[in-house]
Amino acid sequence: MNYLVLTIALPMLGAFLLPVVMQTSKAIGLWLGPLILAYGCWLLANLWLNDVSLPISIAIGGFAAPLGINLYIDSLALLFAFATQLMGLICWPFSLNQDTARRQSLMLLLVAASTGLALSGDLFNLYVFYELAAVATFGLVAASNTTASIAATFRYLILSGIGSVLTLLGIALVYSQTGTLNLAHLAQLAPELLNDKLGLTAYLLILIGIGVKAELFPVNAWVPEIYGTASSRLSGFLAGLLSKLALLVILRLLLLVFHQPEAIQIILILGILGVISGELAAWRAKDMRRMLGFSSIGQLGIVFIALSLPDERGLLALLALSLHHLVIKTGLFMLADGWGGSLERLRGIARTSPIGAALFTLFALSLVGVPPLPGFWAKFTLITELAAQSEPLYLIGLLVFLLATVIETSYMFRIVALMYSRAELPNQPARPHLPGISLATASLFGISLLAATVLIAPIGDGLQAVASETKNIDLYIETVLPATPGGQL
Amino acid sequence: MRNLTGLLFAGGLGFMLLAIASGIDFGNPAMRIGEAIQSSSPQEIGAANIVTSVVLGYRGIDTLGELSILFAAASAAGLVLGRRQTTAGTQTRGGFVLHHGGAMLFPFLLTIGFYIIFHGHLTPGGGFQGGVILAAAFFLPLLASPGARLHHSILSVIEAFAGASFILIGLAALAEGKAFLQPMLNQDTLGSLISAGTLPLLYIAVGLKVGAELASLLSNLAQTESER
Amino acid sequence: MIPGVTLELILYTTALGLVIIGLSGVVLSRHLFRMVLALVIAEAGANLMLVLSGYRWEAVAPILIERSEQPVMVDPVPQAMVLTAIVIGVGVQALAVSILIRIRQRYAALDRHDVAEKMDAEIAITAGIRRDISQDAPLGDRPIQPVPAHTSESRGGEL
Repeated sequence: MNYLVLTIALPMLGAFLLPVVMQTSKAIGLWLGPLILAYGCWLLANLWLNDVSLPISIAIGGFAAPLGINLYIDSLALLFAFATQLMGLICWPFSLNQDTARRQSLMLLLVAASTGLALSGDLFNLYVFYELAAVATFGLVAASNTTASIAATFRYLILSGIGSVLTLLGIALVYSQTGTLNLAHLAQLAPELLNDKLGLTAYLLILIGIGVKAELFPVNAWVPEIYGTASSRLSGFLAGLLSKLALLVILRLLLLVFHQPEAIQIILILGILGVISGELAAWRAKDMRRMLGFSSIGQLGIVFIALSLPDERGLLALLALSLHHLVIKTGLFMLADGWGGSLERLRGIARTSPIGAALFTLFALSLVGVPPLPGFWAKFTLITELAAQSEPLYLIGLLVFLLATVIETSYMFRIVALMYSRAELPNQPARPHLPGISLATASLFGISLLAATVLIAPIGDGLQAVASETKNIDLYIETVLPATPGGQL
Repeated sequence: MRNLTGLLFAGGLGFMLLAIASGIDFGNPAMRIGEAIQSSSPQEIGAANIVTSVVLGYRGIDTLGELSILFAAASAAGLVLGRRQTTAGTQTRGGFVLHHGGAMLFPFLLTIGFYIIFHGHLTPGGGFQGGVILAAAFFLPLLASPGARLHHSILSVIEAFAGASFILIGLAALAEGKAFLQPMLNQDTLGSLISAGTLPLLYIAVGLKVGAELASLLSNLAQTESER
Repeated sequence: MIPGVTLELILYTTALGLVIIGLSGVVLSRHLFRMVLALVIAEAGANLMLVLSGYRWEAVAPILIERSEQPVMVDPVPQAMVLTAIVIGVGVQALAVSILIRIRQRYAALDRHDVAEKMDAEIAITAGIRRDISQDAPLGDRPIQPVPAHTSESRGGEL
């Protein structure tokens, strides 16, 4: 099982060697990255295909937790790690220009860091991988080489820097109180040691710090500019996958370490604020990429509301919404690759690009939550769960969620109507062209969405199993720190 | 006015954080893993500097991540700064002190840098600190004569192979059937230069990589300034 | 000494003070480079806070040398953490400065609001949309009737 570290170590090795390899032989260099990622996908799929009994805990360096760092692989981590390597392949920056070697090595580092975020079981290790993902993102966004993208990177860098200072403070508080950094060990110690104001403060600091990537309410000012200036494939990776991984880290912290009810309330409030601000801004947006960015803030606000639900079906709603958003948002960003820019240019584009328009309509329908598409099931689970709660704050969340659905319908179908309109305006700007590869990738996402519609029952059962396994804290502690006769530290 | 409210808000926040921090038992940390590491480190790893045994042994993958962050930052900075400019003559040359002082300091800086790298497992120091000193050693002549050029291709080759050797040493342990980044080789006697197995090798790789990277980054920053 | 002011209070005030000064500097600065410098200060404060979490009274550095009896040593783990955090900070700061050099070259401004304005304008132009703010279109969509030259009105009415 130790070889699973290769999913993190091999992309890093590839990233270090890629500039030199590219200089000696361009052909090998262009294939090196995708081969490494494909191998990573195969390693992870192997676990699932061979029916290995999860969860497993891998001690890196042979040093058992909590002294060393461990990787914790359960179905949730495996799912997201596999999604990371696969998305790295799908969103691979294959365009050739003078910076190709640097961009591809930065992408390999981004995938390595994201896999580490999904798999790691140590608090400070999560912080290191988080920062690696951030720096790799800065480089990839700035690679677009327009001044606007560089200015947007600066704003993201400053917000991320503030976040990292707050996270370090939070980790310092946690360490000074408990003396350990291992998540399982913290889960054992948390009920007595982190249950007070100090624990809540540490939680708040770490939440805001990691929330920068998860597009949490106060620290998401970077989103519209970054998605408006970065390349669409990268935006698809960031919005679809990286935000979910940050969310996964917050989920683990909530489940394992911070059990206070105030922790959940804070997330609920921030989620509600995020939904309101994101959806209203998306309604006002006039170009495709920033509209998708604001919509992403709104959708992630909804996911945060789901995160604040305390029971197992809430976790199911969270998983369903996250995976659904991953497929939809990345597919939409692939369409935005050619169709990015003013929404006015899309008038009547259904005639020149019928498949693209059909895909957009499909994604819009699922985003809004029209049955029988998966989006409907995800939202339905959330609605029933919210309605079943007794606290008034959850009812406010439910109202905001329904309002957000109305606003989403409005702005998404405004665009669909625009695409299918037959009116010919006198000063119609030139219709944009959708590159073949982007259309093919978007179709891939569309097909998987349709497949999920058909297979919704087994997928639902699978996610239910994942949710109950994730909720089982004792299983986590038992896997990482097996009870020895000599007792714990 | 906005500044004043901002400062008042920040002051209030600071006061609250201070109140929270005073709840920590200062000077008596829980040491749940610290104690265990201190007692088991001499046998398991054999480095006299326990912080090095934590950095390269117990938390080796954190160091790998940190190395990658520095690489990513230097790469991204190279991307942002763009092609190096060939305008050599626009900058003023350094004076007598800078030229000759730099030439005299160069061997000393190299020696100190390598000393700190090699003794990272015995005394405070290590790859990162020594690497920064090496980078400064190579950057000093650039300050003196701005037209001089560093051989960026050689630097990038050193950087790539040093970084790759860090991971390859870790993978070698994997090939032997142990875990990734598990310390190998003989531990020998505690406190001598050749001790702690593969740890000095790891630090040498780190030092060379950091040195080459930062030298390249610094020269990039210096040479871009001439573009207008 | 002053009653109530312990070493602990001084140390924590320093660390948290640095963080607060740095964070308020980032939020309140107008010049982009000052934001980066404030971030450097805040990161220094956070690193100091981390190191303080491992301090022990009457302890020595965690290095094993020939001693008759091993004394109490400080916690080595926060020191390893801070090593990593400092290097991460250096990388990010170097990248920030490179970005600032590029912004200065292309936008010829390093003021926060100017850069934000220019970035917004550039995004709007690339996307092909018109921003509905007053600098771009002060009259909105209404045209002004042109004043005809050499009429009695333009000469101030009848003399």
